[in-house]
Amino acid sequence: MPGPTQDVGVAGKYPSFRYQRYITSRGPSGTALFLGLFGIMGFGMYHHMKSRKEWREIQRERIWTRLHLIPMLQAEQDRDTYRREEALRAREAEIMKDVPDWEVGRTAYHTKRYVRPTVPLYLPEEHKK
Amino acid sequence: MSNRPGYDHQPYEEWVDPTPPPAKVADVPNVGATSAILASTAFALGAHCKEYNEDFMLCKAEDENPAHCLKEGARVTRCSIDLLTKLRERCHKQLTAHWNCLELNNHELYSCRPEEQPLNECIFKNFGYKKQVPGAPKTGTPVHEQTKRYFGNSRNTF
Repeated sequence: MPGPTQDVGVAGKYPSFRYQRYITSRGPSGTALFLGLFGIMGFGMYHHMKSRKEWREIQRERIWTRLHLIPMLQAEQDRDTYRREEALRAREAEIMKDVPDWEVGRTAYHTKRYVRPTVPLYLPEEHKK
Repeated sequence: MSNRPGYDHQPYEEWVDPTPPPAKVADVPNVGATSAILASTAFALGAHCKEYNEDFMLCKAEDENPAHCLKEGARVTRCSIDLLTKLRERCHKQLTAHWNCLELNNHELYSCRPEEQPLNECIFKNFGYKKQVPGAPKTGTPVHEQTKRYFGNSRNTF
């Protein structure tokens, strides 16, 4: 019986064998992510700023729509205020006709500037037709 | 609107002063157009009545008293009525389409561009007034002439 044999490699060399690493994909590279992020944000910001500009012009247009109408509306309002003030003055003169030295329509303010009435006039029942 | 909030003690009827207008303003008519028509024609009005409007506003700056600017105000009103009458004669269809659209769209001009463009063309053809928003940037298409837009009805939006 032969003696013990040492366990050694095969003579010559081992044969090559085929192998493959099964590593899942790590996704796009950092550079691609970075560029993609800025691309998407740039697209969004471009349209956001463009729409903001458009909105600004829309508001400008809206304001000027009103500004063009102001003289017309003010003229009508002035005529009505004038009519009401004249009626008020006439009524006051009628009521106070017996009081000597009564100045009709005298303003309560110490100024020559016109002061728009802040208190709406209550019209007494007897002055309504 | 018989009772306005905060004025329950004073019904609307009691605010009305039935006194007829004084002789000075008796023969001046009021415009009597609804707000949609006014919004629709505002730029034409600003162009048509520019001199009268400026005169009136300068007069108002001089003295705020309503009795001070009655003559100028009457001119402004007559000019406005003149324009609206002419618009009704010449651009009735376009004007009606536009102001009806404004009525349905909360009076937002940007919701009614498809209706506005024929009206602007009609006004330019008949009166020669080109709609220009003062202070708008010199470069680029004016906002009311853009074909692609962000705001407005979805069929025209970007």
